[in-house]
Amino acid sequence: MFSISKVTIRRLVLVSTFMTLVSLGLMVASILFPGPFLLVVSMSLGQFFGTASLALYLLAIVLDLQGYGEHDELGSEGE
Amino acid sequence: MPELHSTEDVLRLAALVSALIAIAILIWYLAVRPPLGRSTKIVLLFGLGVMPFAVALAGNISGFEYTLKREFCGSCHVMLPYTEDAADPTSTSLAAIHSRNQTFGHESCYTCHADYQIFGAVTTKMNGMKHLFMYITEYANTGPHGEGGPKIHLYKPFKNAMCTRCHSTEAPHWGKVEDHAGALADIRSGEVKCIDCHGGDSIHPRAFAHGGNGRKPDAAAAPSGEKAPSGEKKE
Repeated sequence: MFSISKVTIRRLVLVSTFMTLVSLGLMVASILFPGPFLLVVSMSLGQFFGTASLALYLLAIVLDLQGYGEHDELGSEGE
Repeated sequence: MPELHSTEDVLRLAALVSALIAIAILIWYLAVRPPLGRSTKIVLLFGLGVMPFAVALAGNISGFEYTLKREFCGSCHVMLPYTEDAADPTSTSLAAIHSRNQTFGHESCYTCHADYQIFGAVTTKMNGMKHLFMYITEYANTGPHGEGGPKIHLYKPFKNAMCTRCHSTEAPHWGKVEDHAGALADIRSGEVKCIDCHGGDSIHPRAFAHGGNGRKPDAAAAPSGEKAPSGEKKE
């Protein structure tokens, strides 16, 4: 079984953050340099990463609200 | 400062601004690593949810708008014999004449080739995905204008409805053309195709100059300069 700790929740947020940055990069690239390949990649992979990262973040919030982590106390030293 | 000429430009700008805000929030989070308190969660919700959603929405709409443009079609090099002729102000081909129409000329490929039936936009986009797959697998290594690639052809016969949606068979000027009047019933039923008379190299002379294979951009190679209908022929 998974053991959900404060660190796990923070890592979920961290992964979500990086995935969103990748997603934004793909979407911005397709806006700045619109071409068939970039548009398709942006609208498929880019939005998949964006949706998945939001889902991860919402999962982290739900876990946090259920009391798995007390992040206000954890602070930045939690990583 | 970039000039905003259309809704598409405004959407692109909105998407870029939203992306910048999201990126700023995410970099701030990564740099500072604040505790996940309520305020941090709300700020992150904007950086991870609201702003990326705005980017995706505005980006999708502007992206779809861009895919309607002739410039987009010409971004695959195998389409250059078609789009270069369409953009040539001296060309008298049907494609070029239609492309000089100020109302839809910049979207002339889509205007004439999109499927206008129910779900037509969806099937057109699905075919666009098929085009991309074919381009990568079969045309990527062809010559500068698609020379050496498989012959390019339509998925299904070109329908008269594509023409008659603008060139109405009810229009008096259209009916004055002897061949039109004589074949009116057959044209309406689809027995006689518009492209039976106005097809092939009178539409895309540079692409058809070599039978669809080994296409070259040279307008002089097109045998149809004098065959192409003039602008007055538009009904």
